[in-house]
Amino acid sequence: MSKVLEINDVTKIYGERENTVTALNNVSFSIEKGEFVLVVGSSGSGKSTLLNMIGLLDRPTTGKIRIDGIDTTNLSDNKISSFRNKKLGFIFQFSNLITDLTVFENVLLPRQIAGTDYSAEKDAMELLKAVGIEDQINKRANKISGGQAQRVAIARGLINKPSIVLADEPTGNLDSVSAEIIVQLLKSMCKKLGQTFIIVTHDRHQFGEVDRVITIKDGRAFEGDHPSKLEVLV
Amino acid sequence: MDYRLRLAKRMLFNKRGSLIGAVLAVTIGILVIHVNFVIFQGLFDAIVRDISNYNNGDILVTDEEDYIEKSDLSIVKWFERIPFVKAATPRLSSSGSINMTAFGKLNEQTRIPIVGVDPLLDMKASTVYTTISDGEYVFSRNSIVLGSSVARDLGGAKVGDSLKLKIVDRYGQDEIRRFVVTGIASAPGGQGFDYSAVVHIDTLRDMMKRKGETGSILVKLNDPSKASEIKDFFLASFPNDKFVAETIEESAEQQLAGFRSGIAMISMIGYFGMGSSAFAIVTIQMMLVNGKTREIGVMRSIGAKRKDILIIFIFQGMIIGAIGAGVGTAAGLGYTFYAKETKMSFNNSLPLEVSYNWEKIIQTALTSFGLAIIASLYPSYRATKLLPVEAMRNV
Repeated sequence: MSKVLEINDVTKIYGERENTVTALNNVSFSIEKGEFVLVVGSSGSGKSTLLNMIGLLDRPTTGKIRIDGIDTTNLSDNKISSFRNKKLGFIFQFSNLITDLTVFENVLLPRQIAGTDYSAEKDAMELLKAVGIEDQINKRANKISGGQAQRVAIARGLINKPSIVLADEPTGNLDSVSAEIIVQLLKSMCKKLGQTFIIVTHDRHQFGEVDRVITIKDGRAFEGDHPSKLEVLV
Repeated sequence: MDYRLRLAKRMLFNKRGSLIGAVLAVTIGILVIHVNFVIFQGLFDAIVRDISNYNNGDILVTDEEDYIEKSDLSIVKWFERIPFVKAATPRLSSSGSINMTAFGKLNEQTRIPIVGVDPLLDMKASTVYTTISDGEYVFSRNSIVLGSSVARDLGGAKVGDSLKLKIVDRYGQDEIRRFVVTGIASAPGGQGFDYSAVVHIDTLRDMMKRKGETGSILVKLNDPSKASEIKDFFLASFPNDKFVAETIEESAEQQLAGFRSGIAMISMIGYFGMGSSAFAIVTIQMMLVNGKTREIGVMRSIGAKRKDILIIFIFQGMIIGAIGAGVGTAAGLGYTFYAKETKMSFNNSLPLEVSYNWEKIIQTALTSFGLAIIASLYPSYRATKLLPVEAMRNV
């Protein structure tokens, strides 16, 4: 399997001079294509910061992030936007659909941003069927339930066939039944599409058996999730 | 449809309060300009209309030095053979004093402008006769039409009253004649002969000892746009005479110059109003941008470039500008139509001469549309400056 993500000595420091906070401290690891990876850690441990770095929403203070073999450190803002659009799929805690658009338009949006409309509607429809929400396509995004919105968010995250799908607490805002459905959906999509899923969660057990777990603690990354068996990733 | 335009439209239409506020700002800006134009340009045009109808015609012929000595009828006939000419009439002016006994009391008014007219020709070339509110226009050698102000100052002169008019002839001698008041003239806004007296031109010539002489020839055209052409033709046809021929713009320039600068100032105030509506758009769009922080963050995180965000909010400015320009222009045209149809006037003043100036209407609409786009630039720029990670923090 090839490496889809390589993180080398990534440090993120917020603030200036004496008022600095080190959110990530020399984090290094890599993830293989098709892996379903959980990033766990307590609140404030730095897992969301790590996700922002991988999602190219923020830049590391030092260190390098390579996605699909491309060093993203020195990419321009425009190139990063294109990169996010084509290589990364985002699923947020609160689904974050554009409420001014319909379910179908939300799923189409990343493809339209990419400017490659060819077969977009067909692909969007297929994804909406795959997440089981094809009967809601013409509804405004704010007129569907939280669980349904999260399914739409998954479809939107997958429409451009990204190399990595990043999910930040995707079940954090859902009831246990909906959360279970979303977990199963994410897992089945990973298996079906062969894409890499990186899920940030504080509820490790909800996801059951996964390929890999990375624990973030005090800004450091550790392999595994058992407190006594944490192994520093270097 | 481009997704950015669709998003701009939806974001705007889902915030109806902001949309209505922004559109109203543009609409009011345009409406102020239309109302200003209808009132002030209408007033200006009404004054030009009345000066043309009552005093100067479309072309005014005078003598360079003194009085026209050439036969007035020959000049009138010369003009009347031109197809674009409706009519021409001679005028002679002087000033004099009038006295009249009313209710046993002698009233005298001095320095009254006296206008001599040829009644038959004058009624074809001028509309002064339509200002007669009581009685008839000059119809005989001893009839006099008093302006309403003059009649009032003479103690309330009425049709049928007898009065004496005294003028100084060309040799400095007093010339006194008795006249019978045959009509009282009153023009809306006092632009007519309200402050003058009108007599037969031949009587005035006799009194002034200016037999066969004429002060001016007033020429009225069927098509006023041909004034310059006809004026030039006239001057070229009489190269040996010292005629001065002026179009209404030239002959009334002194009277109109002040109005022109006034209108320019009022227009500027209108455009300042439009400018302030642009500030309203900036404020409303800033609110829209602040209200859409989450959406901007999501858009950026799924790959939208700064340029895409910029375009979305500029599209919003264009939508606001287009709707505002449309509604504002429609409202302005509605007001113009109302003013024209009702012959709008204020406090019984002269009725406005309302016209549709399409060039100005289009220019105003385009200016407001452009301003709305310019006004949206700063909020759009601010939207592009939102970092996705900052925007997502609000999520």
